[in-house]
This record gives sequence, C-alpha cells and structure tokens, in this order.
Amino acid sequence: MSKGFASNYRIVLLASGILVSFIGLGARLICLHVVDRGELMQYVIKARRQIIVEHARRGDILDVRGGVLATSRTLMEVGVDPQSLRAIDEAKWPQLAELLGLPVAELRKILTTKSKKVDPVKSAGTALLAAVGPSAVTPAARPSAEDINGIFDLSRAMEKSPANSEKTEAAEDEVSLDEEPDANGLRLIRYAKLSPHVDESTYDKVMALGIKGVYGTRIYSRAYPHNQLASHVIGYVNKAGVPAAGIENYADFYLRGQNGWREGERDGKGREAAQFRTREVPASDGYSVTLSLDMMVQHIVEEELEFLAKKYQPQKATIIVSDPRTGHILALANYPTFNLSEYGKADPASMRNIAVADQYEPGSVFKIVAAAGALENGLVTPGTRFDCSIEKIEYRGSVRSLPGEDHHFDHPLTVAEIIARSSNRGAAQMGMLLGEKKFYEYVKAFGFGGRTGFPVGGEVGGTLAPPEKWDGLTITRMPMGHSVAVTPMQMHMGMSVVASGGLLLRPQIIREIRDASGEVVYRFGTVSKQRAFSERTAATMAKLLMGVASKDGTAPLAAIPGFEVAGKTGTTQKLVPTVDSKGRTVLRYSEKHHVASFVGFFPASRPQVAISVIVDDADAHAPGGIAYGSGIAAPSFKRIGEQLIQYLDIKPAYETPARGPGLLALEGGRR
Amino acid sequence: MSSTRDSSAEKPRVRFTLNPGTIIAVCAFSLTILGLTILFSASASLKQDPYSYLSKQIVGAVVAAGLCFVTSRLNLDYLRRYAWVVGGISLVLLALVLIPHVGIAVKGSKRWLGYGAARLQVSEFAKLAMVFCLAHYLALNQTRIGELKRGYLYPLGIIGAFAALVMREPDLGTAALMVAVGVMLLFLAGAKWRYVLPTIASVGLIFAMTVMLMPNRLRRFTAFLDVEGNKQGGTYQLYQSLAAFAAGGVDGAGLGQGRQQINFLPEAHTDFIFAVVGEELGLWFTLGVVALFAIIFVAGLLHLRRAPNLFQFLLVTGCLLLICLQAIINLGVVTGVFPTKGMSLPFISAGLSNLLLMGLLVGIILNTQRTWGRVAIPRQARSLEEVLA
Repeated sequence: MSKGFASNYRIVLLASGILVSFIGLGARLICLHVVDRGELMQYVIKARRQIIVEHARRGDILDVRGGVLATSRTLMEVGVDPQSLRAIDEAKWPQLAELLGLPVAELRKILTTKSKKVDPVKSAGTALLAAVGPSAVTPAARPSAEDINGIFDLSRAMEKSPANSEKTEAAEDEVSLDEEPDANGLRLIRYAKLSPHVDESTYDKVMALGIKGVYGTRIYSRAYPHNQLASHVIGYVNKAGVPAAGIENYADFYLRGQNGWREGERDGKGREAAQFRTREVPASDGYSVTLSLDMMVQHIVEEELEFLAKKYQPQKATIIVSDPRTGHILALANYPTFNLSEYGKADPASMRNIAVADQYEPGSVFKIVAAAGALENGLVTPGTRFDCSIEKIEYRGSVRSLPGEDHHFDHPLTVAEIIARSSNRGAAQMGMLLGEKKFYEYVKAFGFGGRTGFPVGGEVGGTLAPPEKWDGLTITRMPMGHSVAVTPMQMHMGMSVVASGGLLLRPQIIREIRDASGEVVYRFGTVSKQRAFSERTAATMAKLLMGVASKDGTAPLAAIPGFEVAGKTGTTQKLVPTVDSKGRTVLRYSEKHHVASFVGFFPASRPQVAISVIVDDADAHAPGGIAYGSGIAAPSFKRIGEQLIQYLDIKPAYETPARGPGLLALEGGRR
Repeated sequence: MSSTRDSSAEKPRVRFTLNPGTIIAVCAFSLTILGLTILFSASASLKQDPYSYLSKQIVGAVVAAGLCFVTSRLNLDYLRRYAWVVGGISLVLLALVLIPHVGIAVKGSKRWLGYGAARLQVSEFAKLAMVFCLAHYLALNQTRIGELKRGYLYPLGIIGAFAALVMREPDLGTAALMVAVGVMLLFLAGAKWRYVLPTIASVGLIFAMTVMLMPNRLRRFTAFLDVEGNKQGGTYQLYQSLAAFAAGGVDGAGLGQGRQQINFLPEAHTDFIFAVVGEELGLWFTLGVVALFAIIFVAGLLHLRRAPNLFQFLLVTGCLLLICLQAIINLGVVTGVFPTKGMSLPFISAGLSNLLLMGLLVGIILNTQRTWGRVAIPRQARSLEEVLA
C-alpha cells in the first residue's frame, strides 16, 4: 500500500485506527438514531410538548341600563426565571422593586433564590403529575376544556401562567421548579411570582427596564367597580377563580366562556414555537348578563338601608323594589352588607341574602290573603262588617279564642277598615269564613310555602304547615300572619299579586344574556306561575290597601301626596328564646323585639313599582321602644317611593286606564 | 515529473478520470453544499436575519474555492523554501492573538485577529503551518530520524511551540489536535517506538493534569460520563444533541422541521451542527456524512502511494489528518463519545477560518494530484497492462 517513505505497518496501524473510528462513529449513530431512540424521545416529548390555555374573558354583569356591576380587568402577572438573570441587570433591581411595589430586600430574596429543597414525597407526586400532563393529551383522547385546565394547572412547569385553581396554588407555592432535582435534592426554580397583578402601563415600564428573565403573563381579574352595591345579588368570584355566590355563580354557565388552547411545541427557552402548532382552539369569551337591577334604584335603596341602620341599628333589614307587572327586580338590598372588592374581609353573616334566605312571621301584611280570598269567593264585600270586639267565636262546633287587638275598635269594622286599621280579629273572622282548606289554598296561591324561584342567595321556601297539622287556634292566627313564616321575597311577590292584577309571577333578576358581540342570546321574560284571583278582586284589594296609607289607616307616613299608595304594614313580635318557670328555654313571642315591615306598591290603579321594607329588631332605638311597621318601615317606603317617582318618571294615576295595566304589560313581555 | 505526465497524455483518455483527487474534491463539495443547506435550515427560526449565517458561509465557500484553486496551482517545492518563514509568521500571529486589544476575545477565549466582521482564527492556519514546517524538517532530517535530539526532540519542539501558543488562548481542543497530528507525522516518518510511546504517555499526563487543575474543565470532562445525570449542568448541550439524533430517527424530521436548534441546542450553527443534520435528515444522511469523511481518508491513502518524496508525503498526510481527525473529534463530541470540546465540523460548521483552511487543505491535495503523476512503484497488474500496451 505504501511506498518507502513510511513503513507499511505504521501506515496500516494509523489508517486502521482512523477507519475503526469512522466505523465506531457509524455504529454510535445507529445507536442514537434507532436503538436508544425511545428513551431519548421521552425526554424530547416532555421538553417540547406543550399546551397553552388561552383564558376566556369572563363576561360582564350589567344593570338594566348597561352600567357595569362586575367586569374582568386585564392585568399582568409578573414573574421571574431566576436562572436567566444577568449580573449587569442588578443595578436595575431597585427600579423594578419600586414599580412592583415590593421592598428591595424582598425582591432581592426572590431573585437570588435559585433553587428549592423539595421533599421527596411531594416532588414525586408533582413529578408524576407533570409526567402525566403532557402525555395525557393525545389526539385520540381529546380533552374537554376542563381537563385541559387541570393538566395545565398541574404541569405548571410547562407553562408560566397564573394558576386558576386552588390545588395549584397550594402545590406550587407560587414558584415552579425544574422537573428533576439535582444530587442534593434541590430543584432549580424556573419561575417565581413577583407580583400577582400589575396594570398594563406599569407592566410596559417593567419591560422597558429590559431585565432578562423578568416577564409577565396576561390574566383576567374580576373587578366590582361599585364595591358593596347589590353585593348580595351579584356575588363574587373567589381568588381561586370559582364563582362563589350570587349571579356570578348562578349565571356562571354564561359568564365563564370557554377557555381556548393551543397545542404545540415550545423551544428551548420555553417559548411557544408557533410554526409547530398542531391545534388551536380560540377562547370564546363569556356572555354578559344584564340584570333587571337598576343601579340607581339599588343605590337609593342602599342609602335608605344605611339610613335605617344608622338611625335604628336593627339586627337586619331588607328592601326589595320590583316592577310588579313583570316580576323584574329593580333593587334588592340587605343590611348588613359587604364590599365585593374585599369579600375576603367580610363577616360571613353579612354575605347572607336575607331577602330570600331568612324567614320571619309576616304579621299583618299577611291579612291581604284572607281578605282577597273572602272577596274573591263573594263571602264579603268591602262594606261587610265584622264585630272586632269579641274575644271568642264559635267555629265548626267549638269556641275559639280570637287574637288580641292592638287598638280598641268600638264599632263593627268593614272589610276596608279591617285592612286599613289592621284588625287581627277581623282578619281571623275572614279566614274562618273561608275555612281552613280554602284559606290554605289562597295562602298557596299567593306563593307562600314554596320557593319564589329567585335564583340567587340560597332561597328557602318559608314555613307553612298543611291544614291537617293545624291546631285549633291556627285558623284564628294565620290570617293575621302568625303560625306561618315567609321570606321577604315571598311577601314581596305576594303583595305583587295584588299589584299585577291577580297573577303570581316569578321574581326575575336577569333580564337578558348577550354574547361577546352584543347579540341577545336569551331574554328572560315574565313568568306567570298562576292566577291567584281575578283582576276585579285585585282592583278591589288595591283600593282597600290604599286605605292603609291614608290618614285613617295604620300607615299615613307611607302616603305620597298626589299618588295612590297601596300597601300594608306589619309589626310582628319576634320569637325569642326565654327561660320559662320550669327553667327550660322556650321560644316566646317577645314584647321587646319586633319585625317592622311595610309592603306596598303604587300607583294603586296602575302599579309601577312594588316596594318592601322589612326591618328586623329596631326596637331599641325606635320611638316608644317598639318598632312598628307604620313608624319605621312606612316612612322608608315613602322616601324610596318619592325618589323613584323622579327617577322612573312615575305619573300620578288619577286618569285610570280602562284595562289593568298589569295585563297589558304581561302580554308584551311574555314569551 | 513532466515525463510521467507526457506518457499519460499519450493515451487517449478522458481528462477527468476518477482519481483520488477528484473523489476528495467531490466529497468536499458535497459536504459544503450539505453544510450550506443545513445552515440555512437551522437559521430559519432565528429572530434576526435568517440569511445572515447563510450569506456569510456562501461568501466563505466561494473564497475557499478560490483559495483551493490557487493552492492547487502553486509549486509546493518552491514554497517549501519558505517553510520556516511561514512557520515564523504563524507563530508571531499566534502570539499577537494573545496580546490584549490586538486579539479579539469571544467568550473568554482570545482566538481571532482582524477588524470588525472580517476576522480570522489564526490557530486554524497555524495548524497547516505546523504541518508544513514539520514535513519540511522531517524530510530534511530523514536520515537522522533515529537520533533522539535531531530526529525526535527538535520536531517535538516545533509541535510544542505551536501547541503551547494555541493552548494559551485557551483552545485546548485545537492544541490537542495539533499535538495528535504532529506526533502521528513523527510516527509515520519513522520515529522510534521508544520515543513515541513515552511522548504519548507524557502528553496524556500533561493533558490530564491540566484538566484536573481547572475545576470547570474537570466537571465538563467528567460530566460526559453521565450525560443523563448532569443534564441541567455540564451536559445540557450534549444531552440536547443526543436528543436531536433520536428526534430525527431514521428518516429525519425534514429540512426546516428541526426543533433542537431553537434554543435547545447551543452552538447549533457551529460545533453542534451535526446534531441538526441528525434531526432534520435522519440516519442515512448522518451515516452519509461519516462515509464521505471516510471516503476522503481512503481516497487520500490511495493517493499517498504516489507521493514522490517524504516532504510531500508528510504534507498530504498532514492535510488528510487535519480534515479527518477534526471530523472524528467533532462527530465524537456531538454523539457523546468524547468529552465536549469546541471544534467545528470541517466543511459544514459555520465559520470562515475553518472553511478557508479546508480550501487550503483540499487545494494542496489537488495540487499533488496534479503533480504526482503515476504510482511510483507500479503494481503487477499495472505493469502487465503496460506490457500488453
């Protein structure tokens, strides 16, 4: 092979050495390309595969005029990859700290903490989950959006985005680590949160600093611009992203939208390699929910509640305002209330939607049931007189004692007077005229003993026993609103039956649902549950109830000059625990604790608003030590009514139209 | 010399026969074209101009081709007179590189001379200069090769002078390549086993000590023994490289479809470009690259049979070794067989200096292909053929 310049064996030795090297390289290549492929590919897939969730923007909650009650703000979560920090950027750290509102020392600590000790059990768990994460998403088993959320959250190492689940927050401690610990059991921190939310202009300034390794992720945060306004209705989305209460919870299906996702690959720096994207499902933003609530009315109501709370310091209070013709709630407020923007600091008791979740004995307001029933059945006319001075009466073969009266009536009262002056015995006698069964039917027809269908606040159905379980006195007590418990909403809708011309409507809080482009996708119209009595009876009842707010009635303070105010006062003794003579604790009607209420509507012949004011236990600061509905609730009704007249432009209704306005409105609104 | 050419010219043959020089030229051309292709593919996802590497490399390739042509036309025996001048200039330049503000430092290594974008890695050309000087010296002292001083220590001194300066840059990889090529040439020139073996042993010892004394080098060296375990530390680059081959599989992901070069694989355009070939083009192309280098080597061996004198024999051998050893080291590093050492892949890696050196090396081989003529000692078949003719 050679000629004489070098000895043959030396060349052969060297040449074969080099050729063997080439063959060895070939073998090594086959090994890498084919033999070891499976093992290495696991790493490759794990390192490259990624799913990025595109968060859908949660829809707004609006009032009836489009005012924003709840919205989603765009914020940036700022985090850092401590591994890619450069020494030359250190001079900019104080500026960064200032922008983020962090103490410099704390920022320094986050930036310089490069690894974290992980206890083996936990890390095994998360590692397993991280391993399951990417591989679980195969085209064959296409995941639902929720699944993706889950995977995404658990394998946070893949994607630096805000956590939207409590699990993640607990598991990750706001940092995400490398998947594998090094020899000392330390895992490198790849992402540490610096600030959970900064606004976009601040974020731009942070980015302008140009510190390598500091970057942000777009998140949506829920904002309630009016703080406590309508808090019990709106509800809130908690920090973990779970809609916890109110409309947020009830209409979550519409509000939440559908998260989109991008399946694809990322490059070595964890950035998405858009050219290798395999599937892209855009997020569809949530629908906006328009409530029937009117922010202005709500504001009036809440101011009134604040006033009541200041003046009488009641235990609790509720005011509901609705349009009785359609059942749409215009305002609903409770005292105590809470600030939606700081729901975390709120006393849980203040989050209770008293209007639907608490029940009370309605008292005299309930007298409308017996009166309407007796009138409807032709048993009485407004002029029929009852002797309200008798203490006992014979009913179905036995003598029943009638309830006491708060006032002394020296002459037999007409039905009109019984309502206007709130005679307990008169109401009892009307109930007896109807009979237990029929009276019970009317109680049901007014919507008592069952939920009204108000969607938020954890509604209860009140307490109403069927006639078979009544004792001998029940028929004398229930017509005046004892032996029965109702929610403020039930009472409000019960009174609205009179205002709507005899129809029991479902209270509606949502008016319509609009998609992200503003198209109406669903409209909530008036839902009539049943007819309780005829329009004629309703008109008669309205007239009778106008007597209450007259100077001869119990609530002259509710009268609004120039307007036909119809309504009914109620003053109920509260059942409070007392110790009896035998030392047992029993519930007794208290002389010192009352629920004062006024439930009414106006203008009586063409009702436009129904207002319920229910104040619980305002006695301590009430004039005379007793909180009467006439003294406390009725003036509230008036104050609210007067403001609504201006705001809603309610006209005095002396020129009564021939047909009941309620029905007209119904025909337009019903679907 | 011209007489042999005349005799072959008498035969009515096609001028471009399949001789070793042509084979080497074709292989070198194929590798360069593959290099340009894969370089463009690897640049596709770059944020900056995706043509930046490609355009520079094309300019480099054209200049290298020109250099190759010019070299192939030079008279090597004439050039040989200036061997010591060439060697001296190289050493001066190598020393200049080390002077601050004269040599251009990148990532802590002072390797470049030049201005702005036009800069050259002196050590690349020093390799050739060393081979040139060594071949010249050994050819001069053919008869004294058995002596310790003139036959062994002096040539070792030449190698040492070059290697020591390169080591100072620091560029241990190139220094090691120089020593390896130099010792191999000594060995082929006939140095005694009893000199060569201790040299290999002591060089190994010096290298080991250097590695041991620099902790980060030691870590890099030992890391490759446990690639998987040191993934986040020393061998991240290497592990990404191995992953690229796996990702390519047999068929490859396709040109432009490689992912490892997008921030997974550091030095994807230079030292680790072979991994990109592995991912994008698959097993057949990576084997093909190895085969092309092997063919260059074998063709070179066949060609060497016709060497007219020891100087040219050693010069061409040196050129072959510079190409093939560098390829073997680079491929070994990229496939995880050797510890990670910065060394570019001949013809393929992006880099002006290496490309120009390859132009020179191939040019020298083509030069000898042109001038050497027929085999000095004809084989039996050839003589029979001639007899029959």
